[in-house]
Amino acid sequence: MELALQAKGITKRFPGVLANDHVNFGLVQGEIHALLGENGAGKSTLMNILYGLYQPDEGQIFVDGVELQFASPHDAIKHGIGMVHQHFMLVPPLTVTENIILGQESTSINGRPASQLSILQRRKAAQRIRDLSHQYKLDVDPEAYVRDLPVGAQQRVEIVKALYRSADLLILDEPTAVLTPQEADDLFIIMRGLAKQGKSIVFITHKLREVFAVADTISVMRAGKMVGTVSPAEATSESLAALMVGREVILQVDKTAAHPGQPILTVTSLHVRDDRQHMAVNDVSFDVRSGEILGIAGVQGNGQSELTEALTGLRHVHSGKVAILDTDTTHVMPREIIEVGVAHIPEDRQKHGLVLSFPVRDNLALCTYYRSPFAQGIEVKYPVLERNAEELINTFDIRTPSAETPVGSLSGGNQQKVIVARELTRAVKLVIANQPTRGLDVGSIEFIHKRIVQARERGAAVLLISAELDEIMSLSDRIAVMYKGSILDIVDARTATREQLGLLMAGVKAQK
Amino acid sequence: MKTASGTNRVRLNWSFLSPLLLPFLALVTALLVGALVIWVTSGNLLTVFDAYVGLVRGALFKERGLSESFIAAVPYVFLSLAVAVGFKAGLFNIGVEGQFYIGAISAVWMGQLLPGLPAIIHLPLTLLAGAAGGAVWAAIPGYLKARTGAHEVITTIMLNYVSFRFTELMVSGPLKDPVSTAVQTAPVAHAAEVWLFYDIPARLQDPLNALAVALCAAFIGFVVARALRRRRERKARNAPMVLTVGRANTRRAPTVFGRHSSLSAALITGILTFIFLPLLTRLWWPFTDRYDRLHIGVLFAVAAAIGVWWLLWKTTIGFELRTVGANANAARYAGMNITRNIVLAMAISGGLAGIAGTIEVLGVSICRCLPLFFSSGYGFDSIAISLLANNNPFGILGVSFLFGAMRNGADLMELSSGVSKYIISLIQALILLFVSAPPIIRWLFRIRSERKLIDVSVTGGWGGKA
Repeated sequence: MELALQAKGITKRFPGVLANDHVNFGLVQGEIHALLGENGAGKSTLMNILYGLYQPDEGQIFVDGVELQFASPHDAIKHGIGMVHQHFMLVPPLTVTENIILGQESTSINGRPASQLSILQRRKAAQRIRDLSHQYKLDVDPEAYVRDLPVGAQQRVEIVKALYRSADLLILDEPTAVLTPQEADDLFIIMRGLAKQGKSIVFITHKLREVFAVADTISVMRAGKMVGTVSPAEATSESLAALMVGREVILQVDKTAAHPGQPILTVTSLHVRDDRQHMAVNDVSFDVRSGEILGIAGVQGNGQSELTEALTGLRHVHSGKVAILDTDTTHVMPREIIEVGVAHIPEDRQKHGLVLSFPVRDNLALCTYYRSPFAQGIEVKYPVLERNAEELINTFDIRTPSAETPVGSLSGGNQQKVIVARELTRAVKLVIANQPTRGLDVGSIEFIHKRIVQARERGAAVLLISAELDEIMSLSDRIAVMYKGSILDIVDARTATREQLGLLMAGVKAQK
Repeated sequence: MKTASGTNRVRLNWSFLSPLLLPFLALVTALLVGALVIWVTSGNLLTVFDAYVGLVRGALFKERGLSESFIAAVPYVFLSLAVAVGFKAGLFNIGVEGQFYIGAISAVWMGQLLPGLPAIIHLPLTLLAGAAGGAVWAAIPGYLKARTGAHEVITTIMLNYVSFRFTELMVSGPLKDPVSTAVQTAPVAHAAEVWLFYDIPARLQDPLNALAVALCAAFIGFVVARALRRRRERKARNAPMVLTVGRANTRRAPTVFGRHSSLSAALITGILTFIFLPLLTRLWWPFTDRYDRLHIGVLFAVAAAIGVWWLLWKTTIGFELRTVGANANAARYAGMNITRNIVLAMAISGGLAGIAGTIEVLGVSICRCLPLFFSSGYGFDSIAISLLANNNPFGILGVSFLFGAMRNGADLMELSSGVSKYIISLIQALILLFVSAPPIIRWLFRIRSERKLIDVSVTGGWGGKA
């Protein structure tokens, strides 16, 4: 069997972490090879080594049987390896063509070297992009501006960019983390097309469903080691999850029947405008009772973000009323809402939830640093912060070298755990969680779901906003479906079906 | 792969010293390039030697050279701290030069406003006036930024010109000294002056002045005693077991006792100072040169650096400022008031710049007044100093001295070698260039840097260890 890419005994150490421990990895030409693993298992490190971003401490890399050493991504690209990162490397105000030729604009067109000072051959480049896009059914318009493209299309631009640089081997780093289920299915069709035409693909993910949908081979990593390579036919969800996490995983959330108490959050005919002054939340009314989880389902971009921001004081309420217990919080500062007893797990953890350059210790006290026991007068008691951090790092199993480590250098799952640890250990009456598990692995999702259910069982009201229907259905007691800024219907989670919710999410209201 | 582990070891070695290594290499490189320029322009390699020897002699070894270097470093410290506070809150305060002027003019006004006040009141009051002037002046662009989004770089630069002209207007108009022939303000009251070290024994003969010093000593005694107690407590606590946060409040008794111990330390230090310091300075005092201009602003500068460090890294105010600077969205999410923090950061920054101007007038200006041509250029250098020190208050102390010494040594350099003293500006500009573009230094000295996937700003980590 000809291996397009082979890694032997790759070892990579970071200060305090053994990120890759003698990892072997082989990629057959024309296959889609899924690389599964929890956050921090070493998947990204391995791929970054194969892409030349890191140099391994030990081990060898073979491309088409020849041993190579990559000093930089430039070398990797030269040998036909392309990578699509989880966070896109695109310049929004430039066109697709400009983005794709960026960095190569004066070195080659059609593989032929051009002189250093040649005029941009934009038209030729655009034609080649059109050809590639046609050949692999990628549907990319070379003249479009990247900022106007939806996320799915931007991802296809990244794929074209790799193909444009004559990549035969594509590394896709968690490509579905940013996509809707529909967009993900489209991506899988593209991936299969690419593989059929001889491209080899490494597909990094931690969603089991996707692995079965698209992969030819599955490799699983755990704690820096390669723990198994199997074919989808001989694997089950349970066996893969167990391999990833190292123990049996309960994929179904275990929770008792709800005992809803008094209403905690009451929203009355709320109107909220978005940044472009459109009415993003239009006449929304609902309440959340203590001891219940109200899930808000809906395709992303139907006003969920604006609703959350309005409820947490981050966005101006145009009209309507928000009350938490007996306090009117329609037009108050975020701090007052926090003080009433609201925990907020924000949609974008890096933008809102964390200060990436701050240590884990400070991020764990981001909302409480000014209160006893963390502060005395204006003085922050850092030793107390330190002990608080050590305790939470233990109870929430946050994988970090120390409490002093900048939170930005943790993996996504651990970053999210920092937020959950901070928000759910306060005495809160209302938890607002927006996409609390987006982009996380099975182990972290299970953990965070448990914590949310625990908060409910302690008598908190929970408002859960998620685009993942599975998450909504397994956690919620009641489900509200949001469509174009309004709540179409609120249904009982016990009787709701996937089809019924799917129709509501598409804006079709069933006749009763 | 042997080579890989080899480079890894080298990387670890230098990463330990990295915060100091790059600035140091930048300095060395800048001096080398400066030498090259001197050599080329003078056509004589010996001139380079003469120039640098002259520079070092002027800065350190000539009579009163060291004093003058310290004197020049004082405004640098305050202004660089001002820039650093802004940086930490995500604001680029280019207006420290203007705030320096406003501070100076406010101080002159206050310094002559109430003649007859004792120094214990008048000097703090004048410093306060200078700080307030700078703070209000800087708060304007802060408010504009917070409310309208007007970029502080633009507004502070523009306000610089307003403040230069405003100062000129005041000096030549309402505040002009009617007695003097020169266009300058009247001198400030003797009680409002920043003391010279030479003067201290004489000043301490006034019991009120001795009281002022005693109060300062008491405060220092209090802070030191408290810091020592805290360290002891922390060690005792860490030894047996980790206590939970919830139980933190139950340790009341030692706290109360400890506070008393700090207070008594303060009281003892204060009383001892009050009684013995005037006598001791009478008997023996090292500063006997009556032309030595070294003033106690040097001590203020050190205190200010410690104060800024404490404010930024030990208080809730600093926590908020740094959060707003590092991620304003997260700050808002966490319930911080962005507008207030931006205005506050600018006000603190401007206040520090104002104190710099105040000390220049009260301690350095020969007429103890504000002349029409009160050009400094300190403000713009300070942006470079702050960058070079990576906004670290203690780094600022060191770098400010370096810049002050260079500024001071430049005269003797020009005299002894004929090289224009403006070569110093060139060297300083080169330092700044190399510090703000680390790849140049890395390339020159073949230092490899580990590629980072996540861009973690270097400014955040420092505070944790302190």
